[in-house]
Amino acid sequence: MNISINTIAQNNLRRKIFRSIAIAGAVMVVSATLFSITTVMDSVELSLKRSIQRLGADIMVVPKGSEVKAKASLLSGEPTEFYMDNTIEDRIKKIKGVKQTAVQLYLLTSKYRCCDVGEMLMIGFDPKNDFTIMPWLTESLKRDIKDDEAIMGRAITAFQVGSSVTAYGRVFKIVGMIEQTGMKFIDTSMFLPMDGVRKAIEESKNKGNKTVNIPENKISTVLVQVTPDMPPSRVAIFIEYDIPGVTAIVSEEVISTVRKQLFILLKSVLSISVLLWVMAIFLIGLVFSMIVNERRREIGLLRAMGAKKKDIFQLIMTEASILSVIGGLAGIVLGGSFLFFFKDFIRSSLNIPYLWPEMLQFALLIYLTLLLSLLTGAIAAFYPAVRSMKMEPYAAIRKGE
Amino acid sequence: MIELTEISKHYIIGKEKLKAADNVNLKVEKGDFLSIVGHSGSGKTTLLSIVGALTKPDIGTVKINGTNLWSISDNELSELRNKLMNFIFQFSSLIPTLTVLENVLLPTAFSKERINRNDYAMALLDMVRIQDKANMYPSQLSGGQQRRVAIARAFINEPAIVLADEPTGDLDEETEAEIMTLFRKMNEDKGVTFLLVTHSSEIAKQCKKIYRMTHGILKPL
Ligand SMILES: Nc1ncnc2c1ncn2[C@@H]1O[C@H](COP(=O)(O)OP(=O)(O)OP(=O)(O)O)[C@@H](O)[C@H]1O
Ligand SMILES: [Mg+2]
Repeated sequence: MNISINTIAQNNLRRKIFRSIAIAGAVMVVSATLFSITTVMDSVELSLKRSIQRLGADIMVVPKGSEVKAKASLLSGEPTEFYMDNTIEDRIKKIKGVKQTAVQLYLLTSKYRCCDVGEMLMIGFDPKNDFTIMPWLTESLKRDIKDDEAIMGRAITAFQVGSSVTAYGRVFKIVGMIEQTGMKFIDTSMFLPMDGVRKAIEESKNKGNKTVNIPENKISTVLVQVTPDMPPSRVAIFIEYDIPGVTAIVSEEVISTVRKQLFILLKSVLSISVLLWVMAIFLIGLVFSMIVNERRREIGLLRAMGAKKKDIFQLIMTEASILSVIGGLAGIVLGGSFLFFFKDFIRSSLNIPYLWPEMLQFALLIYLTLLLSLLTGAIAAFYPAVRSMKMEPYAAIRKGE
Repeated sequence: MIELTEISKHYIIGKEKLKAADNVNLKVEKGDFLSIVGHSGSGKTTLLSIVGALTKPDIGTVKINGTNLWSISDNELSELRNKLMNFIFQFSSLIPTLTVLENVLLPTAFSKERINRNDYAMALLDMVRIQDKANMYPSQLSGGQQRRVAIARAFINEPAIVLADEPTGDLDEETEAEIMTLFRKMNEDKGVTFLLVTHSSEIAKQCKKIYRMTHGILKPL
C-alpha cells in the first residue's frame, strides 16, 4: 500500500459520506439543468438546420397572404392548400440570382371522402426539375417516375414500397420512400409527379366521391435555389419587387425567427440556471469553508508531518474535484434521463423533430458539462483551500482543539 | 545539531502578554537524549513546536544542522519536518478517516522518494505492540493505543530527531517502560536524537540531560 494525497482525500470523502453526497448533489442539480437545457437548445438549432437542408430550397415563393399557412406547414407539417398562377415560375426564372426553380402543387387528402389516407398533404412535384424530393429517396429510382406512382414520407407507416394507395379515385403504386427527416412537412406527406396529381384531379370529377376543382394552370409554390454569389434574402426582395401578388419566404429567415422565439424562452431558463450555478458555487464554497475550519487540526497535523502548502491545497482541491465530477456525471445522467422520459412532451411543446444532437455535438456537451461541474467545485473550494494552506501548523493544531 | 539562540515567544491572552518562551538558549548534539520537565503551562509544548518548525519565534534563531529554519523556503521547511524531525504530539494526533496502518504511513505521502514502507510500518506497529489493530480506525482504539500508533508514526521516515511531547502521558507503567526501551534503542542503535517533554521523574531520570522550564525560562537541571 502506498498512501498518497488522493488516498487521504478519497478516505475523507468516503468516511463523511452524507456531506459528500450533499455537495455532489448540489453540483448534480446544476449540471442536470445546464446539461438538459443546452441539449434542448442544441437540438432546436439542429432541427432547424436540418429543416433547411431537407427542404433543399433557399426561397419558397407562395401567393401573397399565405405565408403564415406556408410557414406553419413547413415547421409543424400542418397540411394546407393555396394556389397561384403557374406563369410565375417563368417570371421567377428571369430574376437575377435565381439558379434553379421547381414547382409544387399541394392537395389535401381526407379519409372517408376520397382517399385511403387521413388528412395529409399530397405534393405534386416536377420530376424533371426537382431538387427537393428526389435527393432524399432512400433507394434511388433508376428511371423516371410514372404518373401512377408515388413516393411516401417515412412517417406514413401504413404503406410500404410495392403497396398502392388510392387518392381521388386514382390508384398510385408506391415506388419509394423518403429518408426520415424529422420534418413533419416531408415525413407525413405523399409525393406524386405533377402529371399524376393533375390526372387525379381530373378523375375525381367522375370516379372520386369528392370533386376537386383546381385549374390546370395553378400551382402552390415555386421553390428557388439561388446562385452562390447572391444572398437569398436579396433574391427574395427582387422576386417580391418584380412579381406582385407573391411572397418570397427565405428558409433561413423562417428558421431564424423560430430560433429567436425559442431561444428567448430557453435563455430565460438558462439564466435561471446560471443563477442556480452561482448559488451552488457560494453554497459549496461555504460548506468547504466549514470543512476546512473543522479540519484545521488535521491540516495542521499533515503540515507537521511534512505536507507542503501545495499538498494541502491539492488535498482540498482533489476532494472538491472528485465530488464535482461525480456530481457532474450524475447530473448528466439525471438530465439525460429527464430528456429521455419527457422527450415527446418537450418535442411537441417546442415543436422540434429532434431531441438528440449529433454525436460529436453531444459528446462536446457532455464534456463541457463535466468541465463546468469541475469548475464549480474548483471555484468554490479555491478560497478555502488557499486559506487552509496558509495556516501556521502549530496554530492550526491548537485552534482545532 | 539543534541550536536555539535567544528565542522568545509570547501570546496575547485578553490584555495580558504571556511569555511562553523567554530568551531560551539551547544546544542539542547529535545522539542526545534530552528531557524537559516543568509545570503545566510553563511553555514546554511551545518550545518543542519552535524546535520542530511548527511555529515561528518572535525573536531569536533556530538552527538545525546549521540551517537557519526561518530563512529557508516553506517547501524546504516541509521537507525538514518530513524527513529530519518528527513530532509526537501530546494529544491525540491520528487522522480519523485513515486506518492505523495508513496513519503510520502518512508521512511517506509527503516524501520525495515514494518507496513502499509497508513492512517497516508493520514492524513499527509490532514494536509498540499494536500490529493486530493495523486495519482499524482510530476511533476503535483506546487513548493509549492511539498514542502508540502516533509513536510508531514518528519513526516511519527514519528521522534524525524525534520531538516527543509527553509521549507516555496516557500509558500504563509497563507500556511506558516498553516505549522508553524502544526510544533508547533507536537512540543507541540508530543515533536518533530525542527531545522529550515529560512530567514523569522516572523518565527524566533515564535521560542523559534534563532541563526545567519555568514561565518560559529554560534552565538545565
Ligand atoms: N496559540 C496560543 N494562543 C494563546 N496562548 C497560548 C497558545 N499556545 C500556548 N499558549 C499559552 O502559552 C502557555 C504555554 O503553553 P504550552 O502549551 O507551551 O505549555 P506546556 O508547558 O506544554 O503545558 P502542559 O504541560 O499543560 O502541556 C500557556 O499558558 C498557554 O495557555
Ligand atoms: Mg504541553
